[in-house]
Amino acid sequence: MSETAAGGTGRRREAPSGDAPIVDATEVSVTFEGQAVLEGLSLAVEPGEVVAVIGPSGVGKTTLLQVLALSVEPDAGRVSVDGVDAWAAEEAERLALRRRVGMVFQSASLFDASVARNVEYGLRVRRSWRERLEASLRSALRPPALSSRVREALSVVGMAGQADQSARSLSGGEAQRVSFARALAYDPDVLLLDEPTSDLDPRNTAVIEDAMAEARERGIGVVVATHDMHQAERVADRVAVLLGTDVAEVGETSRVFSQPSDERTRKFISGELVY
Amino acid sequence: MPSEPVVHLLPAFLDLPFREGYVRSIIYVSLYVSGIAVILSTLFSIPVALVMGFTDFPGKQFAKSIINTGMGFPSVVVGLLVLFIVSNQGPLGSLELIFTTEAMIISQFVLATPPITAISMAAISGVDADVRGAARVLGGTRVDVALVTIKEARYGIATAILAGFGRAISEVGSVLIVGGNITGADGVSKTRTLTTAIQLEARQGRYETAMVLGAVLVVLVLLVNAVVVRIGDEGVMRG
Repeated sequence: MSETAAGGTGRRREAPSGDAPIVDATEVSVTFEGQAVLEGLSLAVEPGEVVAVIGPSGVGKTTLLQVLALSVEPDAGRVSVDGVDAWAAEEAERLALRRRVGMVFQSASLFDASVARNVEYGLRVRRSWRERLEASLRSALRPPALSSRVREALSVVGMAGQADQSARSLSGGEAQRVSFARALAYDPDVLLLDEPTSDLDPRNTAVIEDAMAEARERGIGVVVATHDMHQAERVADRVAVLLGTDVAEVGETSRVFSQPSDERTRKFISGELVY
Repeated sequence: MPSEPVVHLLPAFLDLPFREGYVRSIIYVSLYVSGIAVILSTLFSIPVALVMGFTDFPGKQFAKSIINTGMGFPSVVVGLLVLFIVSNQGPLGSLELIFTTEAMIISQFVLATPPITAISMAAISGVDADVRGAARVLGGTRVDVALVTIKEARYGIATAILAGFGRAISEVGSVLIVGGNITGADGVSKTRTLTTAIQLEARQGRYETAMVLGAVLVVLVLLVNAVVVRIGDEGVMRG
C-alpha cells in the first residue's frame, strides 16, 4: 500500500462545548414488537475518546448505536447531542444534530456509484438544492476534481488512489474502508462504528483501527460496537459492557478488563455464560 | 401474404405513402400518446411505489392487490370505462375529449400505471435497508433518501418503464375505442396509431403494409429499450 493508513493531516478540531459529552443517552429504553431491547440505559461519549461497546451477539449493540445516531427514537429517556435534547427538538434542528454524527455499518452499505461519489455523499446532502444543481451542471460539462475533504478522508483509509473506481468492484475490506471514509469526510463530532471489522482480514482491520485512532486524534468521539474484546482493549479509552438490556459496567478499558466491578462483566470477559 | 418471403415486403415498404406523411404521422401519434402516457404514469407510479415500499398503513395489502389486478386488466374494458368518462354524458364530457389523443393518453395512462407501479415497487423494496439507512444517517433528508433509493433501484425502474411503454404502445383495444382510428382528409393521422393502423391494414387485406408497420413498431420498441437501458448505464458512475 503506497499510502499509510491514518495518513490524514492530523488536524485537531475544537471540542464542540469543552469537555462536555458530545452525545449523551440518559435512561434510554427501546422496545421492538413488545420486547425490551434496551432498558434505562445511559452512555455518554466525550470528544476525542474511543468508547468500545462490547457484549454478546444480539444484545442490542446495533440498536444502541442507532439510538445515538438519532435513527431510532427511544420509547423513554433522552438523547442529547452537544447538550441539545434531540427528540424534543424540531425536525429541522434534529436533522442538524443528526448531521453531526457519522456512522459505519457492519456491512459497508455503499451506494452503486464511484468511490468518490460515495465519500462525497455526506458533503453533497449538506449543500442547498441550488448548489447541488449547479454542481451537477458543472460536472456534466467537465468531470469535477476531487474535493480536498474527499481526498483527505480517502487518504486516512489508504484508498485515495481508487477514487474513480466503482464501489461495486471493491473487495469487502476496501468497501468497509470507503464506508469509513464516507462517514469521516464531513468531519462529524462523533463517529459510530457498528462491528466495522467483523468480516475483515487482519490487514484491513489494522487500517480501520488506525483510522479510528486518527479520528480520535482529530477530537472526534468514537463509539465502536464490537464482540472482539482484544480489539476493544487495543483501541478504546473506555469500555461499556452491554449485557441483557442495560450497560452492566462502563469504565476505563484496562480497569474493566483487569478488575471488573460487576460480576456479570467478569463472567462475560472470562468467557463464562452470562445468561 | 404473411407466408411470402421477406424480400417481397420491400415493394410494400417503398410504396408506403411517406411523402404524404401518413406513416410519419402514425409513428408520431403512437410515440406522442404512449410517451406522454408513460411519462405521466412514471411520475405518478414512483412516488406511490416509494410510499408503498417504505411505509405500513391500513389497507396496504388491498392497495397492492388493486395494483396487481390492474396489470392484467383487459384493455378494451379500460377503453370502455374511459369512453364512458369522456363521452358527452360522462363526467368529463364538457371537455370534448372523445376521439382525441388526450383521451387515448388517459386510457394508456390507466393501462401503463399498474405495471410501472408494481415493478417499481418490487425494485424499490429490494434496495438494501442498510443502504437507505446509510443515506439517512449520513445526513440525508427524506428526499435525499428517496433519491438514493431510486438510483439504487434504477434498473428495476427502467424495466418497469419499458414494461409500461410496451403495454401502452402495443395496445389496440382501448385506443381504438376512445381514439376512433381517425385520419384527416389529407391522410394524416389524427388518432391512428401503429397498432390501429396495422389492424386496419390487415382487415382490408393489405398484409404487406401491415407487416411493414409491424416491423416499424418493433424497431421503435427496440430503440426506446436501448435508450432507457443506456440512460440507466450512464447513471452507474454518476451515482
